Amino acid sequence: MAALVDIQAADGLPRARTPALIGTFTLLLIAGPFIGLAVATHWNDFHFAPGDTGSIGVSLGYSLIALVLIIVLGTPLAWWLARQSFHGKWALEAIILLALLTPPLAMGILLTTLFGPYGPVGSLVAHAGVELTNSAPAFVLAQFYGALPYYVVAARAAFEGVPRELEHIALTLGKSPWQTFWLVSMPLARLGLAAGIALAWVRALGEFGIVLILAYYPQGIPVKLWVNLQDIGLPAVYPLLWVFFLVAIPLPLILGLASHRQRLF
Amino acid sequence: MRINYRIDHPLQLQADFEVEDFTVLLGQSGEGKTTLLRAIAGLLPAQGEPFSGLPPQHRAIGYLPQGYALFPHLRAWENVAFALPRGPQRRAQALELLARVRLVHVADHYPTALSGGQQQRVALARALARKPQLLLLDEPTSALDAGTRDEVMAELIFDMHEFGLPTLAVSHDPYLAALADRVAAMSGRRIVQQGTPAEVLSRPASVAVARLLGHRNLFTARVVGHESSTGVTLLQWEAANGTTLRVPQQPELAAGQLVQWMIAPTAVRLPSFKPERHRSDNPVTGRVETRLNLGAHCQVALRCGTERLWLAAPSNLVRHHGLEPGREITVDLRSNGLLCWPHLG
Repeated sequence: MAALVDIQAADGLPRARTPALIGTFTLLLIAGPFIGLAVATHWNDFHFAPGDTGSIGVSLGYSLIALVLIIVLGTPLAWWLARQSFHGKWALEAIILLALLTPPLAMGILLTTLFGPYGPVGSLVAHAGVELTNSAPAFVLAQFYGALPYYVVAARAAFEGVPRELEHIALTLGKSPWQTFWLVSMPLARLGLAAGIALAWVRALGEFGIVLILAYYPQGIPVKLWVNLQDIGLPAVYPLLWVFFLVAIPLPLILGLASHRQRLF
Repeated sequence: MRINYRIDHPLQLQADFEVEDFTVLLGQSGEGKTTLLRAIAGLLPAQGEPFSGLPPQHRAIGYLPQGYALFPHLRAWENVAFALPRGPQRRAQALELLARVRLVHVADHYPTALSGGQQQRVALARALARKPQLLLLDEPTSALDAGTRDEVMAELIFDMHEFGLPTLAVSHDPYLAALADRVAAMSGRRIVQQGTPAEVLSRPASVAVARLLGHRNLFTARVVGHESSTGVTLLQWEAANGTTLRVPQQPELAAGQLVQWMIAPTAVRLPSFKPERHRSDNPVTGRVETRLNLGAHCQVALRCGTERLWLAAPSNLVRHHGLEPGREITVDLRSNGLLCWPHLG
């Protein structure tokens, strides 16, 4: 650290105090609610409300399933948007923008219209015995819709950052387009893809608006927080919130650390 | 190997020429040289032989783009092994190829830790792993600094000959043409001349080719007439005080016509030690402007009227004549070293 400061001094650059000051202030703003949480939590009487543990399992399990679906279905779309140019591409981009823009509550209503028992898709799959409201599939569906657009935007940017020349060189070295994707595009996009996965995970796990409308049951952590607040009061919110942080943070943290450790270029 | 390609998009281009040993295709920027290489590699649509219609992964070519495009996430040996089939021998084979370009010691380095010349040779080894029938090099000297360029190119060309692979390098660098086994010149998006470097350098087919080859003594003159008895065409070099020049007869040139002419700096002769032995073809008088000392040789710029004429001569001869700036001297432009072409535009 001292060496860094010396280099700055040697450059004759003034030590930038203003950004550091404003940065500290901004960080305090961000940290404020969490400091408040730490103070407000009754640590002597730390206990869960009935049903809290169940909501943790629901959130974790179904978010993982939603995340897998998002990666499997979102990655090809992101690659397609990043690598192909065609007429009317703007319309596809507009659809994704629309999904990003729609308020979660409104998206929940739209999904209920489509997948609800009287909706065109909902009534169709109901014949097969699958309910797409207030069920496990509905919960996954809600998280999928909440997080997918964020993943597609991040993954697309990641693929666009891969130099096309390297993909072309892989072809001239005898690799098929499929092999080129796995051996060149994916590894080189992995930083951005990891960021996209982390973002999708956070979005899916924290999804409230869509879930509230489409899948009030089974209750995941965000809805259970709401229920605890309504039925019991503030003190019942804090313990579950601490658990939420505990389960939500590891995946983004691991992804971040893993991709940074291999930052070679 | 004969290359014959026609490209319509993104630019129109027609190229038909021979590649043997180390062949250099010279052309200005914007002639479509990179486009041609990419077409041969199958990376953009084109018609032509060889490899017509095959997708890039089925063409037996090794392509080294500008900057070499090594995979940044793979170590040197993994880059080389990229085209090799999976198996226990993979690393050994890659190291063998790296040994052929004398780079085993950097096998575990990532590309960012390699010098430009080393990256180029890793890219060469990687291309060789694919067992190509033709190597394509895009501006192989562009990423090298002047200090190491000669060394790196000498090694590269040595390797090419060692591997016995026909190689096509495209460049705008006349220096590279001098090292080639064969040269093709591209102008107006087609091949305008091809042959050995000696042939092409000494007899450029047009002013455009002469410029590509880096010739400096390019001037304009007017045809005065023909002397059939002595087999010469007379030119008047108006910019140099109307000096008369005699060139081997070119009957197609009409009196009064403007021509462009050139002479290699080595064909500009200083007066001989024994003047009685030689008759001057084209005496031209000028004043020394600059002298560049290049060891055993010197290059001297003479101001002739409004033009600057370069001559290249052994240093001892230049010293003998005392060619310091400001000194006036009459030199001889050898008739058979003078080339001229009708002036275009």
